[in-house]
Amino acid sequence: MNLLKMGVSAGWLDYFRPPENISTTAHLIDDLFNFTTVMVTFYFILVCIGLFGFSYLYSKKRNKTPYYTYGNKKQHLIVTAFIGAVVFLSIDLNITRIANNDLVNTFWKFPDSKTEKVLKVEVMAQQWMWSFRYAGPDNEFGTNDDIVTNNDLRVPVNTKVLFHLTAKDVIHSFFVPNVRLKVDTIPGRITRVWWEVNKPGKYDIACAEMCGTHHYLMKAALTVYTEEDFNKWLASSSLIAANTNDPQDANLAWGWKWEE
Amino acid sequence: MSGGYNEIHPEPTTFWSKYIFSFDHKVIAKQFLWYGIFFLGVGGLMALLIRWTLANPGVPVPLIGNILFSGSGGVVPPDTYAMLFTMHGTIMIFYAITPILIGAFGNYCIPLMIGARDMAFPLLNMLSFWFAFLSGAVLLLSLFIPQGAAAGGWTSYPTLSTLIGSPGAGQTLWCVAIFIFGISSTMGAVNYVTTVITLRAPGMGYFDMPLTVWGLWLTAILNAIFVPVLGAGVILLILDRVFGTTFFLAGASATSGSGDPVLFQHVFWIFGHPEVYILILPAWGIVSDLLSFFSRKPAFGAKATALSMTSISILSTLVYGHHMFTTQMSPLLTQSFMTLTMTISIPSAIFFANWLGTIWKGSIRFDSPMLFSLGVVFVFGLGGLTGLHLGTTTTDLFLHDTYFVVGHFHYTMAASVLLGGFAGIYFWFPKMFGRMMHEGLAKVHFWGTMIPLNGIFFGMLLVGYGGMHRRIYNPFIYESLQRLIPVNNLITTSAILMGFFQLVFVYNLIKSLLSGEKATNNPWEVGTLEWTIPSPPPHHNYDIIPVVKCGPHELGNPNLKTGRDFQYQTEELVQA
Repeated sequence: MNLLKMGVSAGWLDYFRPPENISTTAHLIDDLFNFTTVMVTFYFILVCIGLFGFSYLYSKKRNKTPYYTYGNKKQHLIVTAFIGAVVFLSIDLNITRIANNDLVNTFWKFPDSKTEKVLKVEVMAQQWMWSFRYAGPDNEFGTNDDIVTNNDLRVPVNTKVLFHLTAKDVIHSFFVPNVRLKVDTIPGRITRVWWEVNKPGKYDIACAEMCGTHHYLMKAALTVYTEEDFNKWLASSSLIAANTNDPQDANLAWGWKWEE
Repeated sequence: MSGGYNEIHPEPTTFWSKYIFSFDHKVIAKQFLWYGIFFLGVGGLMALLIRWTLANPGVPVPLIGNILFSGSGGVVPPDTYAMLFTMHGTIMIFYAITPILIGAFGNYCIPLMIGARDMAFPLLNMLSFWFAFLSGAVLLLSLFIPQGAAAGGWTSYPTLSTLIGSPGAGQTLWCVAIFIFGISSTMGAVNYVTTVITLRAPGMGYFDMPLTVWGLWLTAILNAIFVPVLGAGVILLILDRVFGTTFFLAGASATSGSGDPVLFQHVFWIFGHPEVYILILPAWGIVSDLLSFFSRKPAFGAKATALSMTSISILSTLVYGHHMFTTQMSPLLTQSFMTLTMTISIPSAIFFANWLGTIWKGSIRFDSPMLFSLGVVFVFGLGGLTGLHLGTTTTDLFLHDTYFVVGHFHYTMAASVLLGGFAGIYFWFPKMFGRMMHEGLAKVHFWGTMIPLNGIFFGMLLVGYGGMHRRIYNPFIYESLQRLIPVNNLITTSAILMGFFQLVFVYNLIKSLLSGEKATNNPWEVGTLEWTIPSPPPHHNYDIIPVVKCGPHELGNPNLKTGRDFQYQTEELVQA
């Protein structure tokens, strides 16, 4: 019945896709995933051909006398070693190379605010909430004009956003399925991640690391604005922050000095 | 090689010394088997409760919901849900798979297959079981204390598992239980390693050992080295929890000096990654042997298979960092762990080729142990290959902590090990209990396990790729995950179906024990040493210690004149 429901409702293929891609870098991960999937499917089909084919061809009924061999003849050893080498060269070496290139050239190439336009955001995770901090008009973190939001992250399109993250109580993990990125937030450490998104809209941010009973509720909204809308929001938020931020409010006192 | 340890001990005469505190490896093996099957049932039931909740959030659990969760109207509450998946993982790994694959098969097969009268240290062997028993009792007890059992995941990462995230005594009891279990495992491991080295029958070289023994031996070596590491980790955690140290505390909560929560992850995975192979190696060994036995030809490239398993054991100690890519280790470490992880493909590909080479041109008998062994090749293929997606750092950034990981490790650790374990049970049951299991029911059990099993774990791969993360009580509060409700339903339906077919196994087990057909000495017609003696074997196994003259896989030799198509290991090799 469930099978039927699956088939009828949305078309099978809808269950075979990742969340919508909204960033300039997610395709690297999708491409590598697809490449890996194609390769492993190929090898899995070979295994299945062997498994089912041999089971069919060499059943007791069809093949009365087994072939007496230890598989240690020269040609057998060559075939086995060849399979090992081909698998390693065709999949492993390739995906390691691609992943390493992507890391070095993209994911670990953190934007430099001295040479390009970067939106900096500090993220603090706690049971069970995400807090985000923008530097405000003075461009300094940990000052009274910072804009602080809870469970509500707003970023512009086509701008590199650099996050510095930490956690207050237990380990959490900042997971944005639509940009295919995840980074742990760890008490006592600052971890980093950057992205550039290109599709305005509303998306989910989740905590991916088990962090207690209400782990499943630790969800934040990600709003991707056009640059114009973002600037409008930032301006009005700065104004609100300037008027309402209370220096005595302990809940706002978590920002730290930004170091790159 | 027997060094004088191999004397005949007098047979015990009292009930207590014969069945409870027995030194006999065969009795201890059976104790571990019942213990493991009991916990397999408990862990399986927990899995069903988890699956029910994921497919039907907020809906009362049918039949047992009102008894177990009366406070919430039969619905699994979120804190209980966290306990359930923590306990499911812990129980399945340490209290179900380990006792069955290592405790039961290790104890039963090693001495019999190498021609020994018992383990090297029978007293240690007995203590190993009773420490495991104590550990299981502590763990079960923790389910009934006021604040409930541990609920921080089976990995129990600090600082969630310190007092900051888990104030109840459950987490401390979890640590104590795991530590005691570590003692038990280490005792068993030391015993197995010594037994294989010192008590092999005269004439039996290492490559004359069945691959089952190879798998169990490598497992024991890894256990002896790495279980103490976990022991050290949980001791430090206990110190943090009970004595106020700060090994794993940092940030705002580390008021008296700062430690590092990531340190625990290193300690845990230094143990945890070899643990994956600790669990799977016995199954690999069993499957490598059974494929040969039921194809009626020698194991293809048996030496290469043994050496591949050895090199995987060594590599398994060098790759643990791939569990921690998202913690942002140094780039050099990340790159090194990624590259080392990938090299595991080479030995894996070699023994996969050898498995297929073994059934190639065989004369295959599809008895139930063989069906389960072929099943292992299929599910381990899927499990191993999906590991590639996770071993590469960039795809892991997306897939880490999603259901893709859950699907992957269940294919490798749960599905493969479970099927391998069933293959072993169906295969050695006649030797253990002197009766045959019902073959028809066994085949029903195989298909009833194999088909839903793929529904479950392939479904998990799909929802994980769809973006659903792990350990969440109700996935569908995320609107983007609501499209995955039908797949979650499919997984749950499959799980219930699979659970139902395990009842067929239990029925078959009990019925065969009581009234199964009497087994002959060698019902499967294979030549390893345990099949040369009566089923079940006498207390001292071998009246005369056998002398080994050929390898374990001498089947299908065309020059045999004995009327059998196989040779016992005690017979001079007939040249082909």
